[in-house]
Amino acid sequence: MSQHLEEEVPLSTTAERKIIVDQAGAAPSKEWVIVTRGVKREYDMGGEIVRALRGVDIAVRRNEYVAIMGPSGSGKSTLMNIIGCLDTPNEGEYWLNGQLVSTMKDDELARVRNKEIGFVFQTFNLLPRATALANVELPLVYAGISSNERRERAMEALEAVQLGERVHHRPNELSGGQRQRVAIARALVNRPSILLADEPTGNLDSKTSEEIMRVFEGLAETGQTVIMVTHEPDIAAHARRVVVLRDGTIESDERREVFTEKLGLTL
Amino acid sequence: MRLWDRILMSLEGVMIALDSLRANKVRAALTISGVAVGVFVVVAMGATVHGVRTSFQSDMDEFGTQTFQIRRRNPGFNSCDPTVDDCPERRYPGVSLAEWKAVRELPEVENAMAWLFGQSTITYRDRQVKNVGYDAQSTEWIQTDQADVFPGRTFTEAEHDAAAQVTLVNQKLATELFGDSDPIGKAIDFDGRQFTVIGVYHTKAGFLKSLDGRGPDTPRAVIPMMTAYRRMGVWRRSMMVMVRPKVEVSRDAAMDAVTATLRGMRGLRPAQPNSFFLVGQDKMMETFDSLFGAIFMVGLGLSAVGLLVGGVGVVAIMMISVTERTREIGVRKALGATRATILWQFLVEAATLTSIGAILGLLIGAGLAWVVRANTPVPASVPVSAVVMSLVAAALTGVVFGMLPATRASRLDPVEALRHE
Ligand SMILES: Nc1ncnc2c1ncn2[C@@H]1O[C@H](COP(=O)(O)OP(=O)(O)O)[C@@H](O)[C@H]1O
Ligand SMILES: [Mg+2]
Repeated sequence: MSQHLEEEVPLSTTAERKIIVDQAGAAPSKEWVIVTRGVKREYDMGGEIVRALRGVDIAVRRNEYVAIMGPSGSGKSTLMNIIGCLDTPNEGEYWLNGQLVSTMKDDELARVRNKEIGFVFQTFNLLPRATALANVELPLVYAGISSNERRERAMEALEAVQLGERVHHRPNELSGGQRQRVAIARALVNRPSILLADEPTGNLDSKTSEEIMRVFEGLAETGQTVIMVTHEPDIAAHARRVVVLRDGTIESDERREVFTEKLGLTL
Repeated sequence: MRLWDRILMSLEGVMIALDSLRANKVRAALTISGVAVGVFVVVAMGATVHGVRTSFQSDMDEFGTQTFQIRRRNPGFNSCDPTVDDCPERRYPGVSLAEWKAVRELPEVENAMAWLFGQSTITYRDRQVKNVGYDAQSTEWIQTDQADVFPGRTFTEAEHDAAAQVTLVNQKLATELFGDSDPIGKAIDFDGRQFTVIGVYHTKAGFLKSLDGRGPDTPRAVIPMMTAYRRMGVWRRSMMVMVRPKVEVSRDAAMDAVTATLRGMRGLRPAQPNSFFLVGQDKMMETFDSLFGAIFMVGLGLSAVGLLVGGVGVVAIMMISVTERTREIGVRKALGATRATILWQFLVEAATLTSIGAILGLLIGAGLAWVVRANTPVPASVPVSAVVMSLVAAALTGVVFGMLPATRASRLDPVEALRHE
């Protein structure tokens, strides 16, 4: 797999990335789950312009497992929000499954998020008053799926993350790791084309982090496309591709072998 | 989303609304009480007016739906001011004895009761009851009032025509004058004139009767009309005649016959208007309805103020709720909720708040109606239409006033909302 990727997708240099992105952008295809070209995002902070993204080109194939790293404030979350259709770029294009989403309106974006995107947040973001089951059912509710099917699929998703016994618990009755697994079940229940996780282990202790990482790895192995923001190199080491951001631009975009060599890590 | 899911989601919205009520008791109490007061006012007034009207109707039915009155003056709002010189009613003559007798003899008429009112201080030995109202009526009163007389009897036609000084008293007056001893045959004094008690009468206690002192709790007496006419200082021009047409004759036909007779006797030329009024029950009901309609409109105004207060409360509590739940809104949006979905969710919450207020107001209003019914002759009851109207009005208030916070929630930027602490 990685051999195959290395041949087909040379990623190391900015110039090479541009070629791929230009090709993919010119002929949007379902082969590329994500293609961004020249994506810029600026915030106006009372006259002072904060340039969170200064032109990002990135292309992600189906089934890839990508880690995004970089120092705090380098634009990781901003990029994730744009990839997750929560936000749109000021400049540049973004194709999701060959569909140009960078110009979509609010409600179209909501539908794309519902169908194509699964979010996992650092702070879990479960609805506090709803049970685990109700939380996992929510994306299906917005997808207009009948209540029977909803229940069935939500149960399946919760069982897949080993929470079949806890479906009627509320978030405050669950541990941090369990909460994050509910969030993962919720992210996956609509069978999204990408699973986005912004520092999913940032609020967990190292043992629980390992547990959650194994869940992500398992998902990646079954072919789920995963994009994950993380600070920690040993967590990034689980991914097969690592993108490093700095000051709103891609500093490097490398596959695992190269990256782990650099860090001096062994697998 | 399908309709069923909408309904389920709305139920979820109702649950969330109930939850946030529990969490923010003071704010919720404000909102709810505003709406509750508004609804309570409408319901309490509706119940009372409804009750009075029902009672009025049954009083009317007691007289017979066909019955009408011959009066010198028109009752209700549309009569003119008698102190103003150009009010023609001022110059109308009273109904005379001759006119009454002529009407009574008409083939269309079953009976016609002449009726005067008076007031006297009544004395029996050392006992005195001041300002007792009495009805001076012709012998037909016994049918017209559907009175039961026991013990004793009513007066005869001969006693009436001879202006005999005989009287019937109600149970209350009998007890006050005679205690437990037998009232029949006792001599009592009406402002210096001696009357003999010949019977005790009992009438049904309608609300109207109670209002104008004819209820069982007020001492009262009946004497022959002619006795009052000839011997007491009553105002003769105020004489009224209650006409009951024969069963086979329509009220309109009887009214026409009475009109022709009176116009003939008064020598009115065709161009001249009637110098008397024939007032049917429908007319009485109209008078009643216009009076209570006006009162009811005032009540509606008051409750509109209540709903407005509740509405402002809804805006306040929902605005705070939206702020507090910004993150939740962000999560819902991230999971695919559209603007319309969020809008709907918050509108349901707002409507739930106001509907709870309405239910509370309805319960208190119904409670008050029950108390009124138990303690007064007014059979107050909450009409179904008032229940439906209150709930609809309250829910609408919620939707209208909830629109501002709900719109705000639906327009939140998902990224900003998710960053919210
Ligand atoms: N909503 C916002 N308003 C203003 N500035 C923002 C906003 N979101 C992010 N930024 C700024 O953009 C830059 C990138 O932020 P972010 O994407 O959150 O970085 P990271 O996730 O890598 O820490 C930072 O300088 C941050 O302060
Ligand atoms: Mg971040």
